[in-house]
Amino acid sequence: MNSLHTVEKVFEGIQTAKSGARDFRTNFFPVPSKLQAWIARDELLGVVRDGVAFFFRKDRDFWHFYYCAASLTALRREAVTLNELRSEPMVTDILGNESAIGDIMAVLQEVGFRHHARLQRMSRAAWPGNPQSAPGNVEVVCAEKASCQAILNLIESEFDCYAEQLPRLCDVESAAEQGRILTVKLNDQIGGLLFFETQGQASTIRYWVVEERYRAFRIGSTLMLHYLATQKDARRFTLWVNANNEKAIRKYRHYGYACDGLLDLVLANRMIPS
Amino acid sequence: MNSVPEILKRIRPEFDFASSDNFISDGMLDSFDIITLVSELDKNYGISIRGVDIVPENFQNVRTIEALLRKHGATL
Repeated sequence: MNSLHTVEKVFEGIQTAKSGARDFRTNFFPVPSKLQAWIARDELLGVVRDGVAFFFRKDRDFWHFYYCAASLTALRREAVTLNELRSEPMVTDILGNESAIGDIMAVLQEVGFRHHARLQRMSRAAWPGNPQSAPGNVEVVCAEKASCQAILNLIESEFDCYAEQLPRLCDVESAAEQGRILTVKLNDQIGGLLFFETQGQASTIRYWVVEERYRAFRIGSTLMLHYLATQKDARRFTLWVNANNEKAIRKYRHYGYACDGLLDLVLANRMIPS
Repeated sequence: MNSVPEILKRIRPEFDFASSDNFISDGMLDSFDIITLVSELDKNYGISIRGVDIVPENFQNVRTIEALLRKHGATL
């Protein structure tokens, strides 16, 4: 397995696997800017073999496994020979609709992965007219650099790092600089936050969380209403939520989000705690 | 047979695709939408778009999508 030093090398590997593919399978949808950051931090390894390209991304104390395979047969044949799938803590994702993920799951189970979590995508269109503005009981402010470590701590304490692609401190700092983290502060501490990404007319909530001791203060709804009211150019809003988190799903439904059928099945090998 | 704009509208009805020349940077299509779109285009035009052609630059706007369809022998 080799360290990857350029974005071009990654795309070359993907193209090799795609070349002549009749039943191309992948869970790797890299954005060049993210690839560049992973490469700069020396977090990305890869290997290209007959009909497949495998990528491994270091995240905290485990790895994300990505595959690009010309077919299911090629994926099975080559994944069985990957020692890293057994010797390193590893998670992987299967993306697709319910009907499309069963065969891939069977192959990944054969090489040692097991179910870890199930995320579902929810989306909503922009509502016509002026969005309702946030109530004025608490003030929403964009995160400052000085708060970034506290923000990361709150995210890490509330979300599953194996399933929910948690940011690193540098990602939090970059998002704060771009005004993509809304916060409510109480007693000079982060009481809650909403971390989002907007590209063109699409906006995605990455994390929405309120510190446990402040959950009766309507901070969550204030953040959400402020977010929806300020993303005036967005026509489509999406997010991923753990399918077991009924409380969160109920809240998102309240704000007009609905499941759109896309699933992310998170699998982990036996070195990841269940 | 549906036209490309009609298929796009069915996949993402909330967007006005006619107003954009880059569906990817305008956030109208993401990676998952592209996979859905490829499947719809395959069915609609009776073709099979090759994996190597499923790259963002082929899905930037109606012109690039139609060029991709022609490359795969679709009659528009």
